[in-house]
Amino acid sequence: MITVGQLVLSGILIGSVYALMSVGLTLIFGVLRIVNFAHGEFLMMAMYGAWAVTKFLGLNPFVAVVAVVPGMFLFGLIVHRLIVGPALDKPHLVVVFATMALSILMQNLALMLFSADLFDVPPLLGGRSLALGPFYARPELLIGFAVALAVTFALQGLLKATYLGKAIRATVQDGEAAMLMGIPVPRIFLITFAGGSALVGLAGCMMMPLFSVFPTVGLNFVLIAFVIVVLGGMGSIEGALLGGICIGVVQSISGYYVAPAYAQMFFFILFLLVMVFRPTGLLGRKGEATLGMNI
Amino acid sequence: MEAAAHPTVEHTARFRLMPARGTISAFEILLLAVCIALVIFLRSQNLLDVLIQSFLWAGVGLAWNIAGGYAGLISFGHAAFFGIGAYTSTILLTTFELTPWIGMWLGAFVAGAFGILLTLICARLRGPFFILSTLAAAEVVRIGALNWATLTGGAEGLAILPVASTVNMVFDSKTTYAALMLCYLVMVYALTKLIEGSRYGFYLFAVRDEEDAASAAGVNPLFERTRAMALSAFLTAVGGSLFAQYFLFLDPTHVISPELSFQFALLPALGGLGTAIGPVLGAFAITPLSEMLRSYLGGGAAGLHLAIYGAVLIVVMLYFPSGIAGALQRLTQGRSAQ
Repeated sequence: MITVGQLVLSGILIGSVYALMSVGLTLIFGVLRIVNFAHGEFLMMAMYGAWAVTKFLGLNPFVAVVAVVPGMFLFGLIVHRLIVGPALDKPHLVVVFATMALSILMQNLALMLFSADLFDVPPLLGGRSLALGPFYARPELLIGFAVALAVTFALQGLLKATYLGKAIRATVQDGEAAMLMGIPVPRIFLITFAGGSALVGLAGCMMMPLFSVFPTVGLNFVLIAFVIVVLGGMGSIEGALLGGICIGVVQSISGYYVAPAYAQMFFFILFLLVMVFRPTGLLGRKGEATLGMNI
Repeated sequence: MEAAAHPTVEHTARFRLMPARGTISAFEILLLAVCIALVIFLRSQNLLDVLIQSFLWAGVGLAWNIAGGYAGLISFGHAAFFGIGAYTSTILLTTFELTPWIGMWLGAFVAGAFGILLTLICARLRGPFFILSTLAAAEVVRIGALNWATLTGGAEGLAILPVASTVNMVFDSKTTYAALMLCYLVMVYALTKLIEGSRYGFYLFAVRDEEDAASAAGVNPLFERTRAMALSAFLTAVGGSLFAQYFLFLDPTHVISPELSFQFALLPALGGLGTAIGPVLGAFAITPLSEMLRSYLGGGAAGLHLAIYGAVLIVVMLYFPSGIAGALQRLTQGRSAQ
């Protein structure tokens, strides 16, 4: 029983970190419906940022947030201005291929800058786990969990209650009508995209103590992120948290009882099952999946 | 533009300079002649290697294009079909000593069946959801192949004995391989041209562009899509078997990787989606470019050639969304209008 509890706890904690990484994609893909295949490379870039701050300034990856998050916001602005924005006026496949090309470009620039070696940062508390009653958890995971919860609720509040959030949702539901109501639609896209990118920056800082960084690290995570966004329901922030936790628990339990090598396979199968039987995801509303998508 | 609006007009046109739907043009014949001449006269082993890879990727790009370009089934999971083809023929060769000349067709049927299954599962999904599902399905196949070590050799991979033998489809001379790959390319190209000019081609275009109108006009979208995906998977798998016979080594990380799936999709996108000449132009432009850059820059600048490739792709996608073929067409149409 203790084993199952420990597995579920580990799953929930790692899943919340996955969710944190996916919340940015929920904004970009779930809300704006922009298929950003370079999302994993955004994460890779943020992780290298957090690593560099730790390595060269001797700081902690959690402190790197203050530099990486604004940096990634700026990077999101630039990418949207140069690549994603212009691609959005063209057939919807152009943005898919353009972001995929961007991911190839970023991966290989990283390869040139940092080589293919794996980089790590030293663990907190010398790698010891904290005891929570009968269970154990790494402090990095607990911090990630807390940040994921805070971000989810803050973002949810922002989308539901503020003017900016309402403007974002209006833009997605009907861009033309939103424009007629005086909402600056292109700027909303720009800010939301950059916001999503900043959130990936935050996720990168939280993940750096947990995973090694290397040029193609993004590929491992971008698929998980897309799975989580769709599993949770397109555009649903709390859905992304729930989806992330589901994936984490599935991974941790199947990794223990079946085989770690098959754990990844299970969540892809889970994804396909969700696509077939519940394409709106766990918390999505019917019809929401295709809303605002020009297909 | 006129000709495209009235397809029957095209058949009355005797001969065309540039590639067009349903007819053979001077450009295509010239390109084929150049390819044959290169196979016959090229002696440099390195350049032959580039040629072989260009032919292979052009053929696989064309096979992808039948689903992605013509039927609108944008798949980022074609490496699964490629891998199924490669593994089936190789396993049949190494454990049952069945000649790959037969084995590659068996692999193609297995991949075709998998393509049908995938389309039936994902038939309701559109746009990015379809793309992601194909990606997920290919990952399931990759992880499966990686872990089912008794069948596939797992991460250690499978090797084919590098002893020249026509029955085993292993050759000493790269010229023979180049001729083989060119045959594959011409076969897939001819099939694509046949589809393009046929009634089936028009069904596919109709389903891709206006599904509701197509089904109102009596076309069954699910049936047409499934057929297109099955044919595309079938031909991709043949390419996979040829890949195995040329490189004589297979492992899941390289043969079923998402990167390979992306490449299958990017070459046609670069050349021009939904045209027969597009994937060929894409492969002929990119494969030599990246191979040359790789050999000139060497190991000193690992990744530079792919970084350049990525940057070129971004520019092409943003400024020429209909690819090289589209740019070429615009160029020649502008001239004929004068």
